Amino acid sequence: MALSEELYKYSGSVNEQLARYGVKFGIYKNGVFNEQLFPFDMIPRVIGQEEFLRLERGLKQRVNALNEFIKDIYSGRKILADGVIAEEFVYSGSGYLVQCDGVSPPGGIYPHISGIDLVQAQDGSWYILEDNLRIPSGASYPMIARELCRRSFPEEFAKHRIEDNRNYADLLCRTMNYVNTGGLNVILTPGRYNAAYFEHSYFAEKTGAHLVTCEDLFVEDEYLYFRDYSGRRERVGAVYRRISDEYIDPVNFNRESLIGIPHIFDVYRKGNTALLNAPGNGAADDKGIYYFVPRMIKYYLGEEPILNNAPTYLPYYEADMSYVLANFDNLVLKDVAEAGGYGVVFGSKLTSEQKAGFLDMLKAEPRRFIAQEVIDFRDIEIYDGGGTVPRKADLRAFVLMSDEPVVWKSGLTRFSRRPDSFIVNSSQGGGFKDTWVMTED
Amino acid sequence: MSVLSRENSSRLLWLGRYSERVYTTLRYFADIFDAMIDKTLPGVFESKEEFSARFCFDEGDESSVYSSLIRAYDNAIELREELGSDTFSYIQLAVYEMNKAKNSPAPLLQLQRVIDNIAAFWGMVDDRIEDEHARSIIKLGKRIERVDLYARMRAGRNELVREIRRLTHRIPQTGLTYDEEAVRRLNVLASEEIMNYPAIIAEAASLLG
Repeated sequence: MALSEELYKYSGSVNEQLARYGVKFGIYKNGVFNEQLFPFDMIPRVIGQEEFLRLERGLKQRVNALNEFIKDIYSGRKILADGVIAEEFVYSGSGYLVQCDGVSPPGGIYPHISGIDLVQAQDGSWYILEDNLRIPSGASYPMIARELCRRSFPEEFAKHRIEDNRNYADLLCRTMNYVNTGGLNVILTPGRYNAAYFEHSYFAEKTGAHLVTCEDLFVEDEYLYFRDYSGRRERVGAVYRRISDEYIDPVNFNRESLIGIPHIFDVYRKGNTALLNAPGNGAADDKGIYYFVPRMIKYYLGEEPILNNAPTYLPYYEADMSYVLANFDNLVLKDVAEAGGYGVVFGSKLTSEQKAGFLDMLKAEPRRFIAQEVIDFRDIEIYDGGGTVPRKADLRAFVLMSDEPVVWKSGLTRFSRRPDSFIVNSSQGGGFKDTWVMTED
Repeated sequence: MSVLSRENSSRLLWLGRYSERVYTTLRYFADIFDAMIDKTLPGVFESKEEFSARFCFDEGDESSVYSSLIRAYDNAIELREELGSDTFSYIQLAVYEMNKAKNSPAPLLQLQRVIDNIAAFWGMVDDRIEDEHARSIIKLGKRIERVDLYARMRAGRNELVREIRRLTHRIPQTGLTYDEEAVRRLNVLASEEIMNYPAIIAEAASLLG
């Protein structure tokens, strides 16, 4: 699709607008909190209608299987009994929470909002890199960027038929309403010094849910309440919580948490409020469990996976360890406990001394790492002030689950701003683009 | 309390009305223009360009946003003494930005600056106009205009009722002679489940006789 060169002219004005509206993310460096603008590139990633339909089918399939998996491992554990996944991979992961055993969430939904990271290889095929089923963030950025781009260069939008991505808040609202057990919808934020605070507040504005901190909520007689300025209380039926599992309830999880609400998990366990996403989802988005997702799809749905994983090895298995040791320089190794682009090691970039040290660690803690083939993913163009240059990029697709999974017709495209880097995370200097899904090819 | 002439009280009222007309119609304009990026809406305008040119910038059309802004300016320029130069300057800046927006391929970006200046103007009104009656009169103009516009645009009940409450709360603070019976009737209209838009427009217009 031919995009107008005029687009480049508006790069400054759109970034100025993003600054005006405080579209930022927070980052802690050396213990100091800083807010940074998220650099936006004008040239969108464009996905044709046919291509998106395939992605949509694959993403729905994957999220359905992951939902079944979480339900299963916190109830009958059939998949373990049938030997499809080794038990130790489930139970030794930090995301598995024994407290969630036997708990059924409202509507039977665990991953209400899934952020699935994909990359596109040179031949155009898409690979799943990661499933984020706990607190995936990022949808707010392309959502507001679209609004500002339409103001800045309306002609480009009049010329092309593009799905409107500003409906994300409606989808989120629909998901919250679907699982709401009676009462308010709230968005629970750790507060203004959280990295994604812009997103929390923007979603509250756009969905009409109340943005609350732990001080606004309390539990009484197995129900959750919001307390307003006058002391009046109102029941809460759904909590889109942007606080991780371990901090959400100091009685049931980390006792030292200052940002949690005592007994909120008990209210959830009783079915008296919904927590989005469900606690315990980490059991399914661990980088080690990722390896097994194609098996889950076959096991629960009886279907072949539509979207492929990047070729992945688990050094935990002897055969895979042998492969990893033999092909170390061609692989990328990821620490399963890390996120945000941290804990990622490219075999080819280590000195011999670093490599020896790393291999010792790998042999001592094989469960801690996965290894993947380095996918030569397709570059996309960004505008760097003087012209366009190629950069590595990924796509975070969002799937929202209510009566059925809905794939948001857009996504967060993140790119590396450094020419030699594969790391696209905002916390490591990456930028973002809008993702245009076309309504016709 | 300063001495406020009858003429200046009228100018304050109309400055409030025209400033509000610019502000609210531009916000509606932005929504409709955005919708017209994707499709032509049935109505009097064939394209977003025509909509923009006529609705916003037509100097010969008394109902265009441009004409409303110039009327606000014409009142403001004669109220420097009441407003103060700093407050007046935001109306002047809005006019500059309106002229720049006229030929822009991205009018919403430039028009945002018009809206910004009107918003800043209202902040200055609160801060700089010391006389309570003068301040209340210009705000009354804003409130009357908003009720009128919201009713004409068939705003939702909650929005319109909120604006009627703000209007009826403001009017006694102005020191102006007003029709108390019309205020009562307006409050009754606001309490009805189904909004009677024509009656609300008529009552808002009759408040000051």
